[in-house]
Amino acid sequence: MPGMPTDGGGAIVPFRGEPGLRPPPPPVRPIHHGVAPPMFRIYVSWSSGNLLQVACLRPPNSEGGGGAKEVAGSVVEVNLGGGGSGGSEFEEKIDEAEMRRIEYGSVPAFALLQSRKNALADAAAMPRSPSVPDHAEWWQYVLEYSKTIGNLLGNVDYPVAFMLDDPKAILKVREKPTSLRAAWELLEIFYVDKQLQGWLPERLVDWLADFDSLLSATGSTVYSKLSNFQKKLINLQIVEDDPDYWNVLSAALSVGWLDIVVNMLRFHGSYQLDQMDNRETENGLVEAVVVLVSTMPRMRPNSPTGKLGQCCKTRPDFIKAWEKWRGQVTKLECSAFWIQCGHQKTRDGLKNLLRIMLGNIKDLTAATSHWLELFASHFLYIKPFTMGFEGMHHLAQKCTQLKPPSGTNGLTGLFIGVLSENPEVVLAECTNNFGPWLVTHAMELLTADNDYADIMLHEERPNLGGISIEELHRLVYAQVLCSHSLTWQIAPTYLSSCQNQGLGLLEILLLKQPIQDNRLVLKTLEICRLYELENVSTKIMKVAGIYHWKHGRKGSGVYWFQQAHDKVHLDRIAQLLFERIGKSVTDDSFKQWEGLLELLGPDIGSAGGLEFLHRYRDFKLSLQQALDRRSGEAARKTVDFLMQLMRNPSTPQRFWLPLLHDSVELLNCKPNPLMDVAETTLLLNKLQELSMAKLRPDFSSNHLPSHALSSVKLALASSLAHAILDDP
Amino acid sequence: MADSPSFRRHPLASSIDLVRWLPSSATSHSGRLLAAAVHDPSLAPATSSIHLLSLTEPGNPLASLPLPSRATALRCSPAVLAASTFSGSLHLLPSSFDSDAAVAISGGARFHVGPVRGLDCGGEEWVTAGEDGRVHVIGGGADGRVVATRVWDGKGMSGYEAARWASPAEFATGGAGCGVQWWDRRKGHAVVAQCNGIWGRGIVTGMVHSVDIHPSRKHICVVGGSSGTIFAWDLRWPQQPIALSGIGLNGMYEPVCESEVWEVLFDTYTQSSDIISSASARILPVMMCSEDGILAIVEQDERPLELLAEACAINSIDIDPQNPSDVVCALEWESIGVLARGRETMAEE
Repeated sequence: MPGMPTDGGGAIVPFRGEPGLRPPPPPVRPIHHGVAPPMFRIYVSWSSGNLLQVACLRPPNSEGGGGAKEVAGSVVEVNLGGGGSGGSEFEEKIDEAEMRRIEYGSVPAFALLQSRKNALADAAAMPRSPSVPDHAEWWQYVLEYSKTIGNLLGNVDYPVAFMLDDPKAILKVREKPTSLRAAWELLEIFYVDKQLQGWLPERLVDWLADFDSLLSATGSTVYSKLSNFQKKLINLQIVEDDPDYWNVLSAALSVGWLDIVVNMLRFHGSYQLDQMDNRETENGLVEAVVVLVSTMPRMRPNSPTGKLGQCCKTRPDFIKAWEKWRGQVTKLECSAFWIQCGHQKTRDGLKNLLRIMLGNIKDLTAATSHWLELFASHFLYIKPFTMGFEGMHHLAQKCTQLKPPSGTNGLTGLFIGVLSENPEVVLAECTNNFGPWLVTHAMELLTADNDYADIMLHEERPNLGGISIEELHRLVYAQVLCSHSLTWQIAPTYLSSCQNQGLGLLEILLLKQPIQDNRLVLKTLEICRLYELENVSTKIMKVAGIYHWKHGRKGSGVYWFQQAHDKVHLDRIAQLLFERIGKSVTDDSFKQWEGLLELLGPDIGSAGGLEFLHRYRDFKLSLQQALDRRSGEAARKTVDFLMQLMRNPSTPQRFWLPLLHDSVELLNCKPNPLMDVAETTLLLNKLQELSMAKLRPDFSSNHLPSHALSSVKLALASSLAHAILDDP
Repeated sequence: MADSPSFRRHPLASSIDLVRWLPSSATSHSGRLLAAAVHDPSLAPATSSIHLLSLTEPGNPLASLPLPSRATALRCSPAVLAASTFSGSLHLLPSSFDSDAAVAISGGARFHVGPVRGLDCGGEEWVTAGEDGRVHVIGGGADGRVVATRVWDGKGMSGYEAARWASPAEFATGGAGCGVQWWDRRKGHAVVAQCNGIWGRGIVTGMVHSVDIHPSRKHICVVGGSSGTIFAWDLRWPQQPIALSGIGLNGMYEPVCESEVWEVLFDTYTQSSDIISSASARILPVMMCSEDGILAIVEQDERPLELLAEACAINSIDIDPQNPSDVVCALEWESIGVLARGRETMAEE
């Protein structure tokens, strides 16, 4: 990337679109960096998430504009988020916090499934272990996973709040279904739940009942008809005179919403007490239809409480009940009572309902709105048995011909993809319409019992850089998680499940985390510990150490360097500290170093060159005591410390003279000499070495008074004299 | 455990860093209340605030006080709720959550620079201890204003992560690498005792995250810190800290966790299993929460009792002083959890 900025009206790098295509104009973001024009370098790098860090630097040593205080450079953070990033349809419906709740909740289920998968793979690798029964149960694990995640997406069965039943309410007030949940359930029905495979048609009918409202966005549906009629109902005096009443009834019946049909039929005017006598026959007919509707045989194991229809678990049971019921419907249709029914609209409406129940294709087509509704009505009234994917696909094509879709909807696309037994299409529909979360998690459903999908998704592809489609989508999802400071912590779960590139990206993610906050650093380090990334954690600790040191929190800095076992930095810090101490050695402010020395701990080996500071502290404390108490014992101990310091090679040379100068008073204690000849000679030798070193260019002078050297020499000389005299 | 204590999670749409029970005397009519330090980085400039939440419906904050930066400590006394922040400021407001009456000491050279994680109330006065190494005592001045007195300035040589009063004259602090310090105001605001602690996994030093002192045994601190370490420090034997949990520390039982112990509290609800000798030197039961999602009770020489094992970190806990059976915790995944412990657990031997 060229370092020199160009004059592009505020843009840093000129943007040239592809010659053939006409891309939308690139978004230009002016940056207020406050650095005066002659720009030398601009660095752009990604920070965490959508944050872009832009560093603008002026040329070094530029003519400083008359010494005025000028900014030499600045770093600006640019937030690129909030611009409708993915544009996927569902994000508008599920708010971000809710989506994050789903993301968090799906982590344990995903992790559990992955660990089970790994355990199975391990067991299969071992020749003797009986892994076959385990493997047969795999789809049950996936089902459990699917149910857990399905629950996260919201439960459509429960009403939102406890409220009194409004007798005139046709549609129950429920939690609004989301298309994310609809897609998830659809995949579960088709790919995972084998137990209920025999009752697939009824499950699709149920699915449509739950999510029909979602199809209303692109066109008219039974649901939209019902909710429109609900609004109208309040103002209707005589419902049976309204043609909509009968339309809505036939629509609801065609998709098998029996309880709604029965409830609505009871609105019929003939039920009112004052009209009972005049409309007895009419009422009898309505009630007869009510009975037929509520006893409709359904090929399903059970039905939720409050739902009508008789359940038949097995095929023979169902056929028997179905024949009987059809006979009753036919009998009623041919009944003589219709002639006695005075109300024209009631007669036509009820007869229409009967024709729907008999599976008249023309009436079913008229009653339904969406092709999926027509599709479901086929299962209910024409072909109630499972017919296999191919058959269903044919039927779906027929239905789309009869009722051409008015607009595209992710769910219908998904539906067709599933029926055409084409995992590629399913995956593409999921990616386009439901975002990376669904794709990543639904992958487990697709491969639960589908060898083709299994191979397709797990095959390593050279055109994807050697990773599989599954890994690709996991990586994409992990990137989405990484881009938010609240969800980055769950990204490692997904990255670690990616064999090829996961760990590399995980390292990058961890190294990009901010280190300003100790708690966040510890959270990052905890992830390093879980994934055994010791080299990464060492790096993070070093970076944190430098940050805290630079910001004046020397204790924290040293702490992190110690944790990282960073001898190099600790030694450099030691040098810096010596310079500071060298200046303040005579001050009382030495007390402030106490905390740091405590931090270094008893194991001075880990502190590198800071070992010296410990001994120096001990010496200073001891000296203080010796001078205060004037006891011989304390003085002797101080001299021991002094000798240790002077003998130790880690004691920096520049401290030799200050150390000796500090001890002058002690050396001058008259009563009995504190040092023997050898010790004094050693000190004198050091003094000699020091005066030689003075000639060298790298000698750093200290801030002692000029007479310091001579007073030390004098004290040592007299001490030597005493020692020689005392020497036996 | 005879019955599993009932636990409920309440999702909130932003990160919950800290959570505390508010004394219910101040809020008699509106039920039991919680104070939570909330951080929301998803808005363009990240916002931080303290929310007042009702226990029955924590999703909708009843009131909120904006903070200049992320909260690092949150405590409440019977009358005052206090929060300190990442930028070194301190905010005091009445427990009634009257935001107009809030008082703030802003961060900077005259107070704290950088995060203030040590904060505690001792009767009339508050103590703050920051990562910058400064320790302040904050009290009411003669003219009714809030006055912060600098007790110590470590000039960054050591940093503090926790603070706790023992008596009006004594308090304890803990920090990164420096273990635990005991301060006595009667002896010239100085450290009178110091303990480097005991850390597992062969580490010579670790970071202290939390210190608690039991009101009836003011000479014992319990300390929680890095690598799952929990130890008790008895001032009467300052050189012999007692390990309660940690990797490779007590050979008898597995350590309750191996990650950071964010908070420790003496649990007044769990009775010591050794009732007869509880008047002796035995350390009382301690509740802890950790980065790896463990909420547990640890006791000296006892198997730890795990109350929760969450999939995400538990960043903060609080035991309701008025109903010690109830515990509230702040979970990493943008939710708070409320744990109601049944009576049966207590009756058990």
